[in-house]
Amino acid sequence: MSSYYASKTAFLFYLAGIFALIVFLDLVFTGNGVQFDVGRFLTDTSPYMWALLGVGFTIGLSVVGAAWGIFITGTSLIGAAVKAPRIRTKNLISIIFCEVVAIYGLIMAIVFSSKLNDAELADGEVWPKSAYFSGYALFWSGLTVGVANLCCGVAVGITGSTCAIADAADPQLFVKVLVIEIFGSIIGLFGLIIGLLMTSKVREFDTK
Amino acid sequence: MSVTAACPVWAPFFGFAGASAAMILSSAGAAYGTAKSGIGIAGVGTFRPDLMMKALIPVVMAGIVAVYGLVVAVLVSNDMNPSSDYSAFAGFVHLAAGLSTGFAGMAAGYSIGVVGDACVRGYLYQPRMFVGMVLILIFAEVLGLYGLIVSLILNTKASSKC
Repeated sequence: MSSYYASKTAFLFYLAGIFALIVFLDLVFTGNGVQFDVGRFLTDTSPYMWALLGVGFTIGLSVVGAAWGIFITGTSLIGAAVKAPRIRTKNLISIIFCEVVAIYGLIMAIVFSSKLNDAELADGEVWPKSAYFSGYALFWSGLTVGVANLCCGVAVGITGSTCAIADAADPQLFVKVLVIEIFGSIIGLFGLIIGLLMTSKVREFDTK
Repeated sequence: MSVTAACPVWAPFFGFAGASAAMILSSAGAAYGTAKSGIGIAGVGTFRPDLMMKALIPVVMAGIVAVYGLVVAVLVSNDMNPSSDYSAFAGFVHLAAGLSTGFAGMAAGYSIGVVGDACVRGYLYQPRMFVGMVLILIFAEVLGLYGLIVSLILNTKASSKC
């Protein structure tokens, strides 16, 4: 794989793109071009799919970010503590900052899932506009919270690792590099705020 | 609250996509900026702790990029309401506003990270470089501001006539 011109991820994107192109051309050339309809796709799929995907993304991606941050920080912390054992307890706060990112995701997933209710459509009924609104809002809020927490977790992990190594070199640097880590953790908080704002007007799923 | 061709049911999908794009992409840029410049700043602190406070400027600017994304996401979210009309036009305008701030913020954050890392290392060796460092960082920051300006102009145009 390394002898190819493109990287492995680029290869996968090209493959997916070619597959999508083949599907599209097949629809167009067999006279079914009208089926390639984004609006129809968005309305034919159940709003519950969107909402529950959002809830899944919230907790899933937040925990990925937190885990990534923890392993980046933890390895540096232990490595630096070999020569400077005094740093090990103080620098656990960096691990806690990463854990807090996962807690944000957990809280938001619980808040989002509390907006779900089980409503069944009778034969021939369609979902009202507010149900689609709720579904789309929960999907995009979930993705926002999840990806913002992912980025935040990685940033806090890298700065936490930097903090541990700087502390091992010079104890008075700990508080100053911790300031950078705090700036990193506000990114996750912003994602949380936007997630709450977007879902504040969401109504429950109702067939009326 | 009617469903017509101009106000389809799927319009909020694109509106929320815009709000999300603004927040997601600018937080990616801000995260990169914070982490990458943080590495350089800790390096500065190891050798010259007295220069650390001034060397924190790249981190603050990366945080400002995240605030740009927050502002646009809040503006777009406030325009959306399940009980009022929402046209496809409004949805696409909000998508454009979100993508504009999002990609600009991601680029600005990336740039601030790389520049911050390199410039603070230079500032460590030559403290007279401070003014030059701040000027370069301002130019990188203003890229995110351009995206915000376009988003604000677009957002004023979002109207829903069903």
